[in-house]
Amino acid sequence: MSTTVASEANPEFDGFFTHAAAGHVAFPHCRACGRFHWYPMPRCPHCRSIDLAWRRVSGPATVLSFTRVLHPFDPSRAGALPYVVGLVTFADAPGVRLVTNIVGAGLDALRIGDTVTPVFRAETDGHTAVDFKRA
Amino acid sequence: MSSQTVAIAGIGATRPTRRSPKSLRALVVEAIEAALADAGLEPSDIDGVVSDGLVMPTTVPRDWVAAQFGFQRRYDGGMSFGGAASATAPLHAQLAISHGLAHTLVYYFGVDWGTRASGPYGFHDLYAGKMTFEKPHGFTGQPQYFALWARRYMHEFGLTEADLGQIAVTQRQSALLHPDSQATRPMSLGDYFASRVVSDPLRVADCCLITDGACAIVMTSLERARDMAQPPIRVLGTGFGSEPISGDDVFTQAGGMMRIPGARIATERALQQAGVTLSDVDFAELYDCFTISCLLQIEDVGFCKRGEGAAFIRETGIGIDGRLPINTHGGLLSHSYLLGVEHVVEAVRQLRGNLGARQVANAEIGLVGGLSNPDYGVMILGRDHR
Ligand SMILES: [Zn+2]
Repeated sequence: MSTTVASEANPEFDGFFTHAAAGHVAFPHCRACGRFHWYPMPRCPHCRSIDLAWRRVSGPATVLSFTRVLHPFDPSRAGALPYVVGLVTFADAPGVRLVTNIVGAGLDALRIGDTVTPVFRAETDGHTAVDFKRA
Repeated sequence: MSSQTVAIAGIGATRPTRRSPKSLRALVVEAIEAALADAGLEPSDIDGVVSDGLVMPTTVPRDWVAAQFGFQRRYDGGMSFGGAASATAPLHAQLAISHGLAHTLVYYFGVDWGTRASGPYGFHDLYAGKMTFEKPHGFTGQPQYFALWARRYMHEFGLTEADLGQIAVTQRQSALLHPDSQATRPMSLGDYFASRVVSDPLRVADCCLITDGACAIVMTSLERARDMAQPPIRVLGTGFGSEPISGDDVFTQAGGMMRIPGARIATERALQQAGVTLSDVDFAELYDCFTISCLLQIEDVGFCKRGEGAAFIRETGIGIDGRLPINTHGGLLSHSYLLGVEHVVEAVRQLRGNLGARQVANAEIGLVGGLSNPDYGVMILGRDHR
């Protein structure tokens, strides 16, 4: 498992991990124009407002695409192949696509369009990563 | 065509290899030496130096190159990176020559990603968002990014693995007609399916090679080029296009995932400058970092509509004898992976002619497309008929 990069240089990243540690998935939302954006930026990329706040989503997500990784692109994962990387979307956070791991049972039957729900995983460096499993 | 028409007067390429015993600096020097010799020029004839704006400045900087050769720079430039930079190199020559800043420029690009420990993946560590939100999920390599695109494209448009295999097989056939190609063994569709899956649905055979090597080109005015050693290859048009999205986001967050909007913008600009249409193009060298990205560029450059790439390949034919030969040297998949600078060299060679079995019949106009998501560059080249 590779380590999450500390975000001292990018404080706008922190909210994701703060919410994840509390068991929630949240994304940056602009109070000026009402839109989400991802990845976090210092200003809303839609209207350049700095009036941003983290907004939680209810949890379930939809698989937009996924890939089963069989090659150790990341050497630290060489002992954990294969694993599934998913790109998932949220009905209550339009425009956001989250890169995640889809874990648990039933991965052989995983399809685009499937509903998945979050699983919170403590990293060795203290961060909380958000994976998903089939609903 | 204005008096400022730019021509490519010289090309140089090192023999591509997985691991070179030479340093990247030595490879770049060798490529530039070859390009100068090809054009019949001495370093004192060069007054402008151009590279990409990201990879070369941190590995083989232009000032170092100038010092090695004694180039007296009156123009110095670099924009975008990798493939888009190589395909837009003539923009610098057009600018410098039309403003009287310089008359003869050398462009160079190379990588040592076969030798360098981080290989092609280290590049993406530049992006903080990717490092923070993707790397912890084991999402670190270009094959994975394009695997997401390929699966989604299959879902939306019914693309099959055999469709991707046909691209790999056809380009391998072309690669075997080039004496310097890194891939030297034939590939059947059966061989394609037997190739190891790295990030499904993509196999090793869907992915570009890894290469140590460099290429260089000499650009000057058409008038000057006509007095040099080689028949000039005219730059008919050049274009650059992009979209306001960063390298952090482009593979996953782009609204039109599986699209390269910059490709259409760059192509339209280049066609407009050239005064030609895509139906005038006799062959194309497209940035085939993966089979799927080659297919997407066939669509996004505009050779066919969205979703019709596989049918276009089947019906038109992209081999040397096809109606639109694509990646006539085998491309990044089977020739070498120098991020598309070798595509420029190959286009020039096709237009000079006499390539034997690899020669595209009656090649008059060629298009080079260079992708560096989200940036895209297009160069349209043509033979010189005085
Ligand atoms: Zn806003």
